[in-house]
Amino acid sequence: MNLSRRMLTKEEEDAVGDEIEVRREDQDKINKFSRLHSHELTLEEELKVKNKEKEELDDITTELELADEDDLVPYKIGDAFFHLPLPQAQELLGLSTAKIEEEIGELEDKMATIREEMTQLKVELYARFGKTINLET
Amino acid sequence: MADIQRRLQALSEDYAKLQKDLQDTVTSRQKLEAQMQENLGVQQEFEKLKDGETIYKLIGPVLLKQDRTDAESTVKGRLEFIEKEITRLEGHIKETQAKMEKKKTEIIQVQTSAQAAVGAGPQAVKGRA
Repeated sequence: MNLSRRMLTKEEEDAVGDEIEVRREDQDKINKFSRLHSHELTLEEELKVKNKEKEELDDITTELELADEDDLVPYKIGDAFFHLPLPQAQELLGLSTAKIEEEIGELEDKMATIREEMTQLKVELYARFGKTINLET
Repeated sequence: MADIQRRLQALSEDYAKLQKDLQDTVTSRQKLEAQMQENLGVQQEFEKLKDGETIYKLIGPVLLKQDRTDAESTVKGRLEFIEKEITRLEGHIKETQAKMEKKKTEIIQVQTSAQAAVGAGPQAVKGRA
């Protein structure tokens, strides 16, 4: 936990001088920063879940490559298992993998956008408030 | 006076950190307990299996056949790991609780010395105890 930037010492507080007025637009920016950060955390959690799913799909894809061509593969669709021929199971796995990769890409794009916005807000808020605001997450 | 206040502030933060550490460790231990129960259940199912019955493992959407000996040893290994982890965490919990007690005593000491220093009237310094 980075405590050094958390609160100003008495000396630092004196050095800053008079308080800068928090205008409406400043408060809006601060609130927006907070919202974006919350959203970022949610997306990070989702990303973790999807990455784990993808890992499992990759694992099973590799396993099936070693499987006997004549075996039927019990494949879960909804709450039921269907005994599918190997090639069909592999095809379905391929589709699922592609779909999840796409979803992961979208999440990463969204997160990049959010982080850009947050950086911009940081620049503006630090410019105005300097040491009297702490935006480190 | 300001020094004492700052000291109390720092001690309070330390205490809060310890509390969070304790909470996190307790949560982890609960998760491990659940995992252990699950694996014990699996082990019991294995023992009921007759010869020729197959074990499957769910990887993604596919049920993959497992070798019986491999499956049993995997579950056994997991249970051993979980037991070790639980013991370790319980040790950490006791340690953290002891640290918290010490911190509490420190805070009370500082608070009492603050009262003594000022003399008249009790100081209402809010610390988390």
